[in-house]
Amino acid sequence: MAMDKITFRRILKWGFLSFFRNGVVSAATVLVISLSIFMIGAVVVGSTFLSGIISSLEEKVDVSAYFKTSAPEARILSLKKDLEALPEVRAVKYISADEALLAFRERHAGDDAILQSLEVVGANPFSSSLEIKARDPSKYDAISKFLEKGSYGDILDADSSGQKKITYRQNQFVIDRLSSLLSTSRRIGFAVSLILAVIALMVAYSTVRLAIYNSRDEISVMQLVGASRAFIRGPFLVEGVIHGIIASFFTLVLLYPAFWLIGKKTSVLFGGINIFQYFVSNIFQIFFILLVAGVLLGVLSAYIAIRRYLKV
Amino acid sequence: MIYFDKVSKVYSPTSIALEDVSFTIAPNEFISIVGQSGAGKSTLLKLLLVEDWPTSGKVFFESNDVHAIPKEDLPLIRRRMGVVFQDYRLLPQKTAYENVAFALEAGGKEDDDIKHDVPQVLELVGLMDKAWHFPHELSGGEKQRVAIARAIVSRPDVVIADEPTGNLDPLNTLEIIRLLEKVNDLGTMVILATHDKEIINSLKRRVVTLEKGRLVRDEQRGRYVL
Ligand SMILES: Nc1ncnc2c1ncn2[C@@H]1O[C@H](COP(=O)(O)OP(=O)(O)OP(=O)(O)O)[C@@H](O)[C@H]1O
Ligand SMILES: [Mg+2]
Repeated sequence: MAMDKITFRRILKWGFLSFFRNGVVSAATVLVISLSIFMIGAVVVGSTFLSGIISSLEEKVDVSAYFKTSAPEARILSLKKDLEALPEVRAVKYISADEALLAFRERHAGDDAILQSLEVVGANPFSSSLEIKARDPSKYDAISKFLEKGSYGDILDADSSGQKKITYRQNQFVIDRLSSLLSTSRRIGFAVSLILAVIALMVAYSTVRLAIYNSRDEISVMQLVGASRAFIRGPFLVEGVIHGIIASFFTLVLLYPAFWLIGKKTSVLFGGINIFQYFVSNIFQIFFILLVAGVLLGVLSAYIAIRRYLKV
Repeated sequence: MIYFDKVSKVYSPTSIALEDVSFTIAPNEFISIVGQSGAGKSTLLKLLLVEDWPTSGKVFFESNDVHAIPKEDLPLIRRRMGVVFQDYRLLPQKTAYENVAFALEAGGKEDDDIKHDVPQVLELVGLMDKAWHFPHELSGGEKQRVAIARAIVSRPDVVIADEPTGNLDPLNTLEIIRLLEKVNDLGTMVILATHDKEIINSLKRRVVTLEKGRLVRDEQRGRYVL
């Protein structure tokens, strides 16, 4: 049966009227849906923010390979090209000995003692190097093996024991630990989000179901008076939409101070990256997610809950 | 016309609500179903309303076997039956006016018709002055009059009343029965389930008596005999 305009209008009218006449129950339902999507919102913002932090940490990891002062620049550049062709490598930066010296001078500008010692040495004490970033931290092992075993071994600088000067070897332990820590925290973050989301859904559904359970006698009377299923169900779905919309506004209002507080407490921890700023600059997307989650939660819960009472 | 054809309803071996009940009700008839508590009166009416299904036998509303009607078409047949219950069963969140109007809205009636018909019916049951009261603001007798207004507003072929006076004092009882008689005088079939002796004896209409689920008496101008 296609729904005619007059029926649709009546369903809207009764949905709104029931929402207001149900007062306390409506408020409680909005509150519970708010809590649910608050969790969903916090999880969404938190996990995107966390993964942003993880990426920026990964960004900070790199390895450098140092070359003998005798190594011809052309060979170093050809090694750079070969490295760039590797699938594990994301970026390679060449730093010549002169650039290294310049950077050193800039870093220690004003520190006369150090600058003077450079004068004493006379020649440029720095070697040229390649700074290599991998696609992810677990790839550094392969890259460093390529450097050691490859045909460029002769131009790589080595220490007195013959160990090639590749920073990965020196930082291997830290990089490996970091890489496993990051992938674990991604997985845990995902699992926690999933569990929280499921709990949120179940709590919201139970509340809506309880409210509709309270209307079960009304529902059966409506059926006996000759109301179609759509006509009975409709106002409950409209109420669900209203619950969802109000809950999403309410949640946004709750999230704002929550992230402000968290941001204030944790910006030091994350090296100045502030979760509150992330929240504010993405507020429209976040509201949209909350709105969709809230309305879906309200409507679907009502739809599923009412099915069992539309029996006679 | 309504026809019960060898209807049995067995809830469990120890609870046989109806056993092989057959009888016919003509349009315009005012019929009372009487019997002691547990005799099967409500069960009979529930089967007619398709609130429940018979174990065997059939219930016909005109030429339709009501239990063979597809679910989505049930509202259509229910709009031709008005129901009144002992416990009123008004919609608690709706005013008297809205409760009556609901039956018409559910049937897809135009707004103008609803605005015309509802006050008329509320006037008939004498409740126009309390039209905007919610059920909890009405007395039992007033609630039952709203329920009757709701049952008759869509001009059904039959009004089914299951102990409509069960919770009312004698004066309100009399008033409700008068209303049902009026409805019947206007040409609507009325089926009244009751175990109120006074009512039956004052009605002097057809009486069908059930005893432990069996039809034991069917008399025109019947009296209450148990
Ligand atoms: N849902 C049910 N499950 C099991 N048994 C039932 C059910 N409904 C009714 N019964 C049984 O069926 C029999 C008839 O019940 P019914 O309600 O039709 O009686 P009644 O004549 O309306 O009685 P009363 O005057 O008290 O309203 C009773 O024995 C009752 O226990
Ligand atoms: Mg009964």
